[in-house]
Amino acid sequence: MSELCPATAAELAQALADAASRNQKIRLGGNFSKPGTTAGDVSISTRALNRVLTFEPKDLTISVEAGLPYAELTQLLNRHQMMIPLDPPWSAQATIGGVVAANHSGPRRRLYGSARDLVIGMTFATLDGQVIQSGGMVVKNVAGLDMAKLMIGSYGTLAAMATINFKLIPKPAGSRTFCLTAPTLEAAMQKRDEILRGVLQPVALDLLNPEAAELVGLPAQWSLLLQAAGNAALLDRYSRELSAGQMIGEEVWPRVQEFTPMFLAAHPQGRVARFSTTLTDVSEPYRVWRGPMIARAATGVLYGYSERPLSLPAGLKMVIEYGEALMPWAQTGSDYSAMKRVKQMLDPKGLLNPGRLYARL
Amino acid sequence: MGVVGPNGFLDQPHDLTLYEYDGGVDKHKPDIVVFPRSTEEVAAIVKIANQHNLPFVGRGAGTGLSGGVIPRAGGVMISFAKMNRILEIDLMNERCVVQPGVVNLDVTLAVQGEKYFYAPDPSSQRACTIGGNVAENAGGPHTLAYGVTTNHVMALELVLPDGSIIETGGKEPDLPGYDLVGLFTGSEGTMALVTKITLRLMRAPEMVKTLLAIYDSTEDCGATVAEITARAITPVAVEMLDGPMLRMVEEATHAGYPMDAAAVLLIELEGLKEAVEEQVEQIREVCQSCRAREFRVAKSAEERDLLWKGRKNAFGAVGRMSPFYYVQDGVVPRTQIAGTLKKIGEVADKYGLSISNIFHAGDGNMHPIILFNARIPGQLEAAQHAGEDILEHCISVGGSITGEHGVGMEKMELMSKQFPPETLDMIAKFKNLFDPQCRLNPGKLLPTGRGCMEIRQRPLTEKTAV
Repeated sequence: MSELCPATAAELAQALADAASRNQKIRLGGNFSKPGTTAGDVSISTRALNRVLTFEPKDLTISVEAGLPYAELTQLLNRHQMMIPLDPPWSAQATIGGVVAANHSGPRRRLYGSARDLVIGMTFATLDGQVIQSGGMVVKNVAGLDMAKLMIGSYGTLAAMATINFKLIPKPAGSRTFCLTAPTLEAAMQKRDEILRGVLQPVALDLLNPEAAELVGLPAQWSLLLQAAGNAALLDRYSRELSAGQMIGEEVWPRVQEFTPMFLAAHPQGRVARFSTTLTDVSEPYRVWRGPMIARAATGVLYGYSERPLSLPAGLKMVIEYGEALMPWAQTGSDYSAMKRVKQMLDPKGLLNPGRLYARL
Repeated sequence: MGVVGPNGFLDQPHDLTLYEYDGGVDKHKPDIVVFPRSTEEVAAIVKIANQHNLPFVGRGAGTGLSGGVIPRAGGVMISFAKMNRILEIDLMNERCVVQPGVVNLDVTLAVQGEKYFYAPDPSSQRACTIGGNVAENAGGPHTLAYGVTTNHVMALELVLPDGSIIETGGKEPDLPGYDLVGLFTGSEGTMALVTKITLRLMRAPEMVKTLLAIYDSTEDCGATVAEITARAITPVAVEMLDGPMLRMVEEATHAGYPMDAAAVLLIELEGLKEAVEEQVEQIREVCQSCRAREFRVAKSAEERDLLWKGRKNAFGAVGRMSPFYYVQDGVVPRTQIAGTLKKIGEVADKYGLSISNIFHAGDGNMHPIILFNARIPGQLEAAQHAGEDILEHCISVGGSITGEHGVGMEKMELMSKQFPPETLDMIAKFKNLFDPQCRLNPGKLLPTGRGCMEIRQRPLTEKTAV
């Protein structure tokens, strides 16, 4: 398979249009760091679209090309005490475009949100060779349709992102991490409820079952990991109010963030399932899952890890994120036909990343 | 109208006159206003409108400021006034399910006893509805920290222009598939009618501090905003009022604003005590370094409420002074606020109009209020031209023509200055995808000639335009 690496948005649009005119299936990506990318007749990578276009520290905004490595972007922002706290897996290899296309997020989304909250503008190239703009470089903007929302999490099945604009979050003065352990799932959920109903505003609140806790280097117990951020007086307050927990090192977070790549490296045939639940139902996937499981316990997204194919629970909203899709996106709702119409409009021949997006659209 | 019964519609000219306008300056009467009570009734009305080839438009409280709800082609207006129930409050899951006619403030009032709140807080929040907020992707002062409507909508039930009903999103985050909630939110009622909304609620902060910084120069005031952003201090709201605005507000509300200042900043900080107390001192330091004449911290909830009442009733205060006014909604990068204020002053001089400013300075969302007298021939047009000049300036410094009010029919023509033709065509394609007959809220959002089926609409006449 030949690989094209266009270096401008216009070249990207041209590459897409050329492939479409030849009815070629397109494998579209950045660094192709995530497993599950599909085969195609032609491969188009955004890795040469790797520039920072505008960085306005005083406006707390940045515009970057989609192929910019996430790690490079993070380092640049770090130097200015700023951040785009998406905390995605494969953070050392991924491009920012890949992170947004997969709608990857991490532990700190409780406070800072996910890509849909941090992206303020975007350009994307379509199969008919056009470059389309959504939003802009200001933090508040309702002119035109918010088409960027469609691109976030679309796994490159609609169009190819060329540039992405973000609002930036100032880095807090400091942070502290606490681990609260519990003998049972119910006891852990009760501790979580107490935190959610209190006035503390944790940056992150993850629940790990004993299997997952062990794999990130903690004792094999039900573990609530809480990150607090802010000034010293604020962190001291967290220490006082969470005295039942134990203060642990910040180095636990990269292990949580990179759990999926770590697991798949150890178990190439493994499966990663992603569940969406309400806050009260965060406990439900745990009841049916055998294997490590990590929950964004204050958000309602859970990741379950299995070493081998398994029969999947009915009645829960879930998809197979990585590994062979045994049950591709089982439940589709009344909006499925509308999604298909969107796909049909932008990619009528089904050329873009066929089989991605949980092998449905 | 068998669907809604004899008390479910209005079709007499004197009644329809009440539905010909919103908070903007454009007008056009619908041919009938209907008041459905359920999603099924909405769908039935849409199907009937389709059978008779009539355009239709949804309407909340009519507080919009861009003409988004004006039935410029006549036809059926679907008012959500009777679909005004809060269907479910689910505090354990930080969610609330409402019908589109629920008033914005009523959501917070329903949950604040349990120390929760709904974050987007447009100035019209005592009247505007959640359905309208979703259509326009409404903002408000506190969106600086918490995000606009789209960041707080989890799920939508929609009636599509063909009369079909779909639900998208859910109480759960990250459901698989395309983010249609994000696409439809802010589509200005041109692609679907919203009949049910699932909102995200937030936990009320432990401490709130409201500050007032008073200036003898608007430049210093603007510089303070840039400096707060540059020093990465994160207030939840930073509102700016200039001198003329202050005086109008103070005469109407007696909120304690100084009558002789050139400008003030109204700043709010929220969060845990330890964080808020530190930020008060940081902001005091910034204000002093930017030559604020005075720095006050509201001492009580009453004092704080009064300051906000003055801010949120500002348009009412303007109405006392000038029977006609025209509000703009441009956005600029925060480093460009001071220059934009200067430009607005020049535009006022050019057209001989008085323009005062009250706006969400923290996110660069300017609201110049252009005062005019529609009874003087040419003044409405002058006000509109002044507005366009200001918005073109916003575009030229990297900003946007609208931060929260929407494009509507007011700023359609300016869309081609902000976006390239390919983008406008793509927006038209989306509209056409869901509304191929162009019956839902026609003639909005896109420049004339770029929207669908323009030719089928009755043109605005001089009589209907003003």
